[in-house]
Amino acid sequence: MKTNNSEGCALCNATWGEYWREIDGENMPFCCNICADIFQEMVRRVKENTGWDKIDYINLEGNYSKGRNCTATNGDRKYSYYFRTYSDGKFITFEER
Amino acid sequence: MTRCPVCLVQMNDTIARLSDHFYALQLKNNADHIMWLNRYIGKQRFGQDELELKFEKFFRTASLKEWIISNFVRKFYGDPPHMFILEMQHPKEYVLKGYAMEHHHFLKQWVRSCASIISNTDMEDVQAFEIENIVSEWYGAGDSRPSHHELLLRMGESLGVSRDAIYKSEPLPATKRAVEAWSMMSRDFTFVEGMAAMHSLELVASRNIRKYGATMGYFDPVILEDGSITEEAANFLGEGYNADVAHSETALDLIEKYSKEMRNTQDCQAVFLKSIEVFDDYLNARLERGMMLEDKQQ
Repeated sequence: MKTNNSEGCALCNATWGEYWREIDGENMPFCCNICADIFQEMVRRVKENTGWDKIDYINLEGNYSKGRNCTATNGDRKYSYYFRTYSDGKFITFEER
Repeated sequence: MTRCPVCLVQMNDTIARLSDHFYALQLKNNADHIMWLNRYIGKQRFGQDELELKFEKFFRTASLKEWIISNFVRKFYGDPPHMFILEMQHPKEYVLKGYAMEHHHFLKQWVRSCASIISNTDMEDVQAFEIENIVSEWYGAGDSRPSHHELLLRMGESLGVSRDAIYKSEPLPATKRAVEAWSMMSRDFTFVEGMAAMHSLELVASRNIRKYGATMGYFDPVILEDGSITEEAANFLGEGYNADVAHSETALDLIEKYSKEMRNTQDCQAVFLKSIEVFDDYLNARLERGMMLEDKQQ
């Protein structure tokens, strides 16, 4: 799985820290465990809502404060959604858009 | 002395050591310190020397009052403003319901913090300020001047949330964490740090906020008169809108005065920064509570 955040953390693109976690069989870079927790939960919700068994690519726009507008891609299928979390990673909102 | 704005540890040293503290902890992937760097210094990693320069620039100020206002506006009224403030412009019922329930827990802690500040100082101007604050926020001045808390309960009742339900509620986890942080900062730190932690937050509803660079106020004032919210909600918001101007400005002047005398400006900056982080989550808890009360939770 790839994201548009190619420089650093797969969720926020920060280059501080270096924390790795396996998500769906792929070792992915994060700046910290909280970003990894958020990303993992986001992937779980996307797969639950779509019924997909895999995600090829996720485009994430936004930030912690305003939330993130995202589009997940699986082959030629797309799923757009928005989510926002507390600073500890707990989800406040996750909705299809 | 310097204090870390994340873990609040006090270091018997300079800003350079604080910078080193962050640099070392980001190498250990410490989430809280990395998030702080991302939000206040920038997302792109640089070397230890450059980080030190960034820290010195970030904390350098001739006026603590102006520094607090500037950083508060940037965090809550920046581009875009906090989601709660956006929702407050023309609030739906669920927003005000969540506000009523979570803010009860905030105000209970608020007066405790005011009392802690009083107990931590001999300065009579500070004590008088905090006593007046406790009266207006919690006790009131007779039937003609109900307290801010009483007006909050009346707002809740007007929206169908009884005061019994509010009193019986437990704060949401984010509110609980924030309340615990404010309790600790006002009780265990110097009185001026306690004031910086608490009274800076009153800026959120200050009518002067646009003068300081915010693109909008706490709410669109037209809602006080256009009938879109209940009369009780208008009374609550209108009272706070006017009262908090004096509170926050006077408090910031006292914070500036005593932090200079006590030479603990950076400690005050640190607790202010910690306070606005938990306040950020607390404002989100108001929205989450509102969604729960309206059964809007996704």
